Amino acid sequence: MPVVNLVFGRIVDTVLWPFQGLPPWFGLTAASLLTSLLMLEAYKLTSDQAAIRRAKDRIKAHLLEMRLYKDNMRASWGAQAGILKANLAYLAANLKPLAVMIVPLVLILARLGLWFDRAPLEPGRETLVKAKLAGAADPAALDLRLETPPFAEVSAPPVRIADEREVVWRIKALAAGRGRLTLRAGDRTAEKSLAVGGPELSKVSARASRGSFPDRVLYPGEPPLPDGAPVRSIEVIYPARRLAAFGLSVHWLAAYLVLSIAFGFALKGVFGVEI
Amino acid sequence: MSETKKPAALSRREFLKAGAAASAAAGLGGAARFVPKVYGRARTAKKMIVLGLDGLDPVLTRRWMDEGRLPAFSRLLAQGGDFRPLGTSLPPQTPVAWSNFITGMDPGGHAIFDFIHRDPKDYFPVFSSTETTGASKTVRIGKTVIPLSSGHVRSLRRGKTFWQVLEDAGVPSTVFKMPTNYPPAETKQRTLAGMNTPDVKGSYGIFNYYTNTPPTLIQEAGGGGRVHDVYVVGNRVEAELPGPTNSFRTDAPETTIPFQVFLDPENAVAKVRIQGREFVLKEREWSGWVRVRFDLIPTQSVHGMCLFYLKEVRPRFKLYVSPVHIDPAKPALPLSTPESYARELEKRFGPYFTKGLPADTSALENGVLDEAEFLELDNMVYQESLAMLEYELGRFDEGLLFFYFSNADQRQHMFWRLTDPGHPAYREDLARHFGGVIERTYGEMDRALGLALGRAGKDTVVLVLSDHGFASFRRGFNLNTWLLQNGYHRLLRPWKQAESQLFDNTDWTKSRAYGVGLNSLYVNEAGRERDGIVKPGPDKDNLVREIAGKLEALTDPKTGERPILKAFVSRDVYHGANVGQAPDIVLGFNRGYRISWQSPLGGFPREVLEDNTQKWSGDHMSAPDVLPGIAFANREFTAEAPVLQDLTASVLGVFGVEKPREMTGTNVLG
Repeated sequence: MPVVNLVFGRIVDTVLWPFQGLPPWFGLTAASLLTSLLMLEAYKLTSDQAAIRRAKDRIKAHLLEMRLYKDNMRASWGAQAGILKANLAYLAANLKPLAVMIVPLVLILARLGLWFDRAPLEPGRETLVKAKLAGAADPAALDLRLETPPFAEVSAPPVRIADEREVVWRIKALAAGRGRLTLRAGDRTAEKSLAVGGPELSKVSARASRGSFPDRVLYPGEPPLPDGAPVRSIEVIYPARRLAAFGLSVHWLAAYLVLSIAFGFALKGVFGVEI
Repeated sequence: MSETKKPAALSRREFLKAGAAASAAAGLGGAARFVPKVYGRARTAKKMIVLGLDGLDPVLTRRWMDEGRLPAFSRLLAQGGDFRPLGTSLPPQTPVAWSNFITGMDPGGHAIFDFIHRDPKDYFPVFSSTETTGASKTVRIGKTVIPLSSGHVRSLRRGKTFWQVLEDAGVPSTVFKMPTNYPPAETKQRTLAGMNTPDVKGSYGIFNYYTNTPPTLIQEAGGGGRVHDVYVVGNRVEAELPGPTNSFRTDAPETTIPFQVFLDPENAVAKVRIQGREFVLKEREWSGWVRVRFDLIPTQSVHGMCLFYLKEVRPRFKLYVSPVHIDPAKPALPLSTPESYARELEKRFGPYFTKGLPADTSALENGVLDEAEFLELDNMVYQESLAMLEYELGRFDEGLLFFYFSNADQRQHMFWRLTDPGHPAYREDLARHFGGVIERTYGEMDRALGLALGRAGKDTVVLVLSDHGFASFRRGFNLNTWLLQNGYHRLLRPWKQAESQLFDNTDWTKSRAYGVGLNSLYVNEAGRERDGIVKPGPDKDNLVREIAGKLEALTDPKTGERPILKAFVSRDVYHGANVGQAPDIVLGFNRGYRISWQSPLGGFPREVLEDNTQKWSGDHMSAPDVLPGIAFANREFTAEAPVLQDLTASVLGVFGVEKPREMTGTNVLG
């Protein structure tokens, strides 16, 4: 998994790196375009193009049949059954390419999430750092200390919540910077990245965890916490990033999917792909 | 964490203005260049800034100017300006006085006679400024009520506002938090609602106080607070934040949002979790604005926002939550004209105080917030106002800008006792710390004026006004008790006099007069009141003159002073189409006196006059001549004793706009 994360991470970071100083829409558009090209090619290679074309032709033929024989109930019902059957055939023909594409798509989405899901803290703002404890550890009994990089400070004592096996700190961003938070419990430590300010589009990792498989897939932003770490996960609550479009606030994922689909349909003829 | 201020984003309208060609790039930033102009058919080169500084007293202003503590006021005069005590309204109550200024008429014209009016059909006190009605047609499906028409919030103020007159003449205006302008008068001018704007519960502001040692609160008409008796179990507190009643349900339950407070076992710090949002507060620390959503039915919600203050973690748990303000990003009630103005400010500043008077005087009165905590909250209001004034001044390039500050009024109400050793609630220890609050507040108002003067061009007319002055409120007058003792009012069960409220013990068939509101006395008139017994005409006139004479002759046995300087017969002093709705007598109190706490809502305490031992210790219910407001301008006044309505005419006069016939004032700016 680390190798896969590394490869996908490098690719996505390389694509987005030139857009760091620009508003997020530019990077997102580029990512959508490249994703659609990749998916078109993957679709072309892994799908039975003839079967898809055949299924679509049959749907069109049955639609025409319905229109021509609208006064004949038997013919209409037969046409509808034909449309249903052709639809199922179309879906079946899509299963294989979808199964192939879903894996890289999830990995790409997880990497894109680092760039578009959260915004770095603004200098002067406060947020929470939440540490989830492993097992049945009692937060009051564990002498956990949070150390911040010089551009941030702890602005309130920790709240130790036994019910939730959680310790929460409030930190304040003092200036722009990139660095690491260090959590200490005796001689054991765990680290988590912290991002304050910086370019308009920049990578933000909200969570570091011990590294279960789903966590490694969904939170690929930093290496897993060591097994001997005093905590199960450390999370920084960064503000959600919303994209502004025509006076509306749009979630990046919705914008990404719409753009990718639009690019896919726009370019399918160029690449000779039947979707 | 708490809400953060957001940078300006581009609205749809702004985007269209920018032009489609630049759409892609413009959609990604640069919104500031496309700020829409205020409405105005014709551009005007004339500019006028009006600062409304509620409650600034001419005597105190003059004194602190002379001592060099108000440099901006002094600068205004040094630049060829002028100063006059400003004749206030009768009575000099905030909604009445600002209505005089808004409409250029006295209460006989605009029909706002008091904070509280009464419904003659049932003698019940009602708020004077607004009326809210629910949907007229509804359909019930099981326990759900589906409205087929919308409800309405209506202003009861009559007459045209001066910014509507300016609009007709094509003069663009921005009117910021004008008191009683709720709901905002219909206009295309840029206006933000002021005093009377309710919280999400539709009240004038109800705070919530969560504690395991609950006190008893003094409840107020239309506002106040609610105490929640909570338990700390395992360092955790479970509580609920009350919201509006759910009118989509037949039983109209109160909506609530559950929230949790997690206390650290040792540190004086806690985490609050509400609707998935979490924030940490140290003891004696305020949160930023916390947005909340009250769900009514799956498609309908009311959006609000509030501040949390962790007063104490242990040994006693004390958490104050401010009244839930209407969220200007998604307002459930009208907050501005155009509607987009409130949202525009939210995009620029983040969440902001939308409730009419945001200072929580009730929390201070009840000891839920102490003096320092109250001031911290009110200072947030002041800083926000100052930032918004700076913003509006920054883009002000034509027409009128009116901007309002409430801080001086609210703080004088609450801190006067600490400047007046003769006040029953004076405390020397508190006076040492807070005796200078009022003076400092005048200094803060001076800073706002300094900001305006700094941005005003040479040809910009700058006018500063307050609606009334201020005086100590040492003694309270129980009007209804006096009427009872003098035979004008009769109780059904005299032995239950002290427990009477809302006239529930009144024998209306034998009562000739009653008091409702802060300055108002009504005759129980046949044909007007439900059980009226006094015939209109000579009978009523004679009774009114008789009561007025006796009230003016009354002396306070404790001080030897006359509590009521003048009992005004409304027919003699009001003008306009709505004189018929006026109270029959309007009380003009002497300095140091005001109506008591119980009398305005139909109570009958034993004593006619009593000490005011409450923290609400400064007031302005006097005869108008006793407590004028202030009028400063960077022009000379042509009248020796201008009144509020004259300033309305003067605003119109600056722009060469003819004053409507019903406006009674005269242009007094040279």
